[in-house]
Amino acid sequence: MSSTRPSGPPLHLRVANKKAYVWDVEDIATIRTKHRLCGVFTGTLPHLSQQNLFLGVPMVLLPEEVVLLVENESAVLVDDPKAYLEPSVAELQRWSAQENELAQLRLAQLAAATKDSPAMSEEAVQKRKERELKKKAAAEAKAAAEAASSESAETDTSVFKPPEEVAAPPAPVDVQYTVVIPASSTPFEWYNDSACAYTTIQSAKDAGIWEYPSDLHERAKCGVFRGLWEQGMFMGGGIKFGGDYLVYPGDPLRYHAHFSASVLDSPTSALTPMEIVAHGRLGTVTKKSHLLCGWDDEKKAVSYLSIEWAGFG
Amino acid sequence: MQAHPSYQALAHILPKYPRAAGSVFQAYNDILHVQKWTDVKVVDLEGVSRAAITGKKPKTDVTLHVVPCSLAETLSFGWLTTTFTLLSDPPEILLAITSDDASIVYYKLSRGIVKPQV
Repeated sequence: MSSTRPSGPPLHLRVANKKAYVWDVEDIATIRTKHRLCGVFTGTLPHLSQQNLFLGVPMVLLPEEVVLLVENESAVLVDDPKAYLEPSVAELQRWSAQENELAQLRLAQLAAATKDSPAMSEEAVQKRKERELKKKAAAEAKAAAEAASSESAETDTSVFKPPEEVAAPPAPVDVQYTVVIPASSTPFEWYNDSACAYTTIQSAKDAGIWEYPSDLHERAKCGVFRGLWEQGMFMGGGIKFGGDYLVYPGDPLRYHAHFSASVLDSPTSALTPMEIVAHGRLGTVTKKSHLLCGWDDEKKAVSYLSIEWAGFG
Repeated sequence: MQAHPSYQALAHILPKYPRAAGSVFQAYNDILHVQKWTDVKVVDLEGVSRAAITGKKPKTDVTLHVVPCSLAETLSFGWLTTTFTLLSDPPEILLAITSDDASIVYYKLSRGIVKPQV
């Protein structure tokens, strides 16, 4: 198919632990707009790694997406750990100089910021802490004196006394530091993936960095994924609707999914009527059809059946 | 079963496919007496060892194909494609899924990628 031929240089998918990551934002944009693949963002913020509402780079591609890109010669698989060569002294010195320059820049920015709001300076924080400590000590002394003077009169009612006010911890005044964590390693002079980039799935398998597809089920998934993709569909994970994929007629940001799809490995693999009922009813309720995608590994062809509730019975 | 008024129409089918007899009988009665379809006919589908039921919904003029099966059966994608072929490739078939407690549910299976109705 001529439309699947690459027009630019192949993308470099960084493989680590048999997963393919994309770190470059430009590459992510290309994958989304030109190759019509969505991937999944997995990067969290370094200091808030448990929040997962807003994720960013790196993007992890579904294995089916990786196979599709590599087979279309739109991407190569890079054995990422091997792409970091031993840096030379000169390279390290240049890197170190650059880091220093950046650090100086950051310090200058910090100084500029604290000048504008003196309350943020470290000196001010220190003074404030001292003031609060003094205040607290005075309040404690006063409370102790009161308690001593009233103790004799109110011994039996003391349980009703309101609990002693716990001094609120001083409001934290953080001095914020900005630490830039580079997402991509490609600018490093010692990063060179030319010796460990694989242009075919088979060569990547031979090198031991990639496994998918390794059996009939995975071949069926790759075949079905390609079949739907070639029809212009966008695919996302189907777990929310109990299928293998959610199938969108265009970019998921613009369209609702019309289908949930499940993959049947072969024309003879078991399909129970209960599955048809479950998929069909869920799809109908969510205004989707369910696609049964039957893979034929001998013909390397996929055919589809759409399930909908009949509307009666 | 033999005493049932519907038996006569199915007499040539039910003894031939004893395993599917229950669901064919149940689907036929539901289509004829509950859904009140017209022009109801029975089509022998030897390749999948059962009969299909064709007919038209009340006040419509489109012939639909109903293929009965039991909830306890195990089907396959190939089985479904064969059924389509045996019925000379209609755009859709209705799979009538029957269960032991006499409940029945119909699902529409269409060839290819067919968008859901809005």
